[in-house]
Amino acid sequence: MGRYRKPVQYIILAVVLLIGGYAIGNSLFSKSVVLTKGDKPPGFRLADLNNVVHDMEDYEGKPLIINFWGTFCPPCRNEMPALQHQYDKWKGQGLELIGINLSEDKLTAESFIRQIGVDFPILLDKDKKTERKYGLKQYPTTFFIAPTGEIQEVVIGGVLTEEEIDKRIERLIQTKS
Amino acid sequence: MFQNTKCECGHQNPVGTVLCESCGKPLDEALLKDENALLEMRYDGVARRSQKANPHFVDRIWNFFSSVKIAVYLIVITLIGAAFGTILQQESTIINLTERSEFAAYYKEQHGTFGVIYHALGLSRTYESWWFIGLLVMIGTSLVVCSLDRVLPLYRALSKQQIRKHLQFINRQHVVYSGELTQDKQEWLDRFAKELKRKRYRVWREDGALLAEKNRFSRWGPYINHIGLIVFLLAVLGRSIPAWHMDQYLTLYEGETRQIPGTNYYLKNDKFTLDYYSDEELASNQKGTKVVKLYETKARLYECTDACDDPTREPVLTEVKQHDIRVNSALAYKGLKVYQNSFQEKVRFISVHATLKDKVNGTDIGSFDLKMNQPEEEYKLGEYTLRLIDYYPDFGLDEQTRPMTKSRDPNNPAFVFRIAGPGIQDRGEVYVYFPMPSEKSKYYETILNESFKQRGDNSGRFSIQVDNPIVDGQMNNIEYSAFTTYLNIRMDRAMPYVWVGAAISMIGLIMGFYWQHRRIWIRIDGDKLALGGHTNKNTYGLRADVAGALGKTRIEVDPKTLDNRRNER
Repeated sequence: MGRYRKPVQYIILAVVLLIGGYAIGNSLFSKSVVLTKGDKPPGFRLADLNNVVHDMEDYEGKPLIINFWGTFCPPCRNEMPALQHQYDKWKGQGLELIGINLSEDKLTAESFIRQIGVDFPILLDKDKKTERKYGLKQYPTTFFIAPTGEIQEVVIGGVLTEEEIDKRIERLIQTKS
Repeated sequence: MFQNTKCECGHQNPVGTVLCESCGKPLDEALLKDENALLEMRYDGVARRSQKANPHFVDRIWNFFSSVKIAVYLIVITLIGAAFGTILQQESTIINLTERSEFAAYYKEQHGTFGVIYHALGLSRTYESWWFIGLLVMIGTSLVVCSLDRVLPLYRALSKQQIRKHLQFINRQHVVYSGELTQDKQEWLDRFAKELKRKRYRVWREDGALLAEKNRFSRWGPYINHIGLIVFLLAVLGRSIPAWHMDQYLTLYEGETRQIPGTNYYLKNDKFTLDYYSDEELASNQKGTKVVKLYETKARLYECTDACDDPTREPVLTEVKQHDIRVNSALAYKGLKVYQNSFQEKVRFISVHATLKDKVNGTDIGSFDLKMNQPEEEYKLGEYTLRLIDYYPDFGLDEQTRPMTKSRDPNNPAFVFRIAGPGIQDRGEVYVYFPMPSEKSKYYETILNESFKQRGDNSGRFSIQVDNPIVDGQMNNIEYSAFTTYLNIRMDRAMPYVWVGAAISMIGLIMGFYWQHRRIWIRIDGDKLALGGHTNKNTYGLRADVAGALGKTRIEVDPKTLDNRRNER
């Protein structure tokens, strides 16, 4: 045993450091689900109104806006036309815009979208799964994601005016991946 | 500090040795001063493994954890820290809140300034805090290092014991006897050895000296206990691995199936039952009060077998377990446990059995089941087709007086149908239908259908309604949920290891508590017989053993007189 004393000592201390470090580190960086500037948005796979699957990965490297909305939320309803206008204005320059419906019935979402005349993809969340992944607290919540794949801004609640959206899209487009 | 560690018998001892490893002569200065004092027999007087003349940096860390004094401090600090966590409710027990700001507000509201301080200090998360986990890790380290440093030298010392010990070693034990030996030395030793063997001692002899030993394994008890505690502690730390531990809540109305987040399982609430004791069953002072007899969720657990991650299809579910979840009777499946936690009395429509009526002829065209959640989009009733074109689960009007839903729950559902069939204009007729049998709902229904009629969207010929919606005060032709159940879902993969650790620990405790390590040394020099005995507990038992064996060999002694401490008391 005597010969192995030192190695054994070092191994035990190393194991302690490893396990202890992991356990303490885990408690220090307790995960908060709230996403902020600079975070990478979590992935998702959701069907749109035509039952076509959209994967978060499909939008990699493009300036992207994700808007979480529901027909039950008046500000969400009110900012929908502005989003559509801005989408029309910027889609030629590569802007992608996704509206994720907050786990409503497809019919309910669809009829509202038809009324407004939205033509960007509307994805249907199920059982609030995606919403929970994104740590949503208020509706609507809009994520502006730069081509680098990082969140540039999160706008929570309130009605976004066209100018406000426009300003942010410009900033998104300018950020090169 | 220089210390001569070489014993007069010629054995070279490590630094820190209290009693010579070979002959047992005291080396420690404190023990040398008073030749009559009892010997310090801890760890048989061997040096702790890490005691060194010139400790290195790593050795210093090692020595820190090797100290029992430090271990006691660590345990006391942990105890005090753990006590702080019991002053106010911990965050982990508060359902529904997730964000720091929400918790801060909660503690402020519930406990005022003290709550604010408590939360700010992080005491609302005592058991997940870095310092508490840190203390546990340190206790674990201390357990490993302390044990290793002591058990190895002790094992070595006990497995190569010298039979002939130094006279001082023998005479300074707790149990001693010395006297003249008038009988034949060899013969007496034979008989004495035989007596001890009958008492299940193992006996070794070396001309004129004897060592008898019993139950040495009892000395390993504390170390086995420590191994158990380490397993226990590692298991507790293992709960921080996400896949090992889960504690969440799921709300389900009757008839609802939902996925358990983070798993491949789905749970369905078939029925929730709330039952009260009848007056006959209650004690006289409780009569007339509502005392709950039963909370029960009839639940089904499903496993997803296909299309689990396909958003375009409904997942294919296979039932794996059915259980009536009651308080203290959880649904258990492969380490997953579902407990009854709480409930809410809340009526929620699931589906209605509606009938399409022709008001002109006064006939029923047909009836159909209409679900409040993901309703079918088309219904065929005889020659007529009903197409659902809009659905508002919680009907209301927005600022621009457009119809909208106020929430995602079917609190006041409204369905808009387009009816096509014989005798109807080509674009069909549009009707709105409110299943809720409330005045307000029916008022809306009438107003809206009237306005459709004025726009020419319908002729007012049809109506959709539930036949006999209320029979004897009970809803009829309506499927609804009366209660929403709150279930607590837990998984604790660390639990088996916790039990294993606890079992090992218990084995160690039993070994250490119910047996004693007894040793007897004898040394005969000429006619002088010197006997010393040592045990780690229960000296009465050892004295009885010695006195008994001496008595059988014609040396009568009173067990009490063998006590070396008699001089002090």
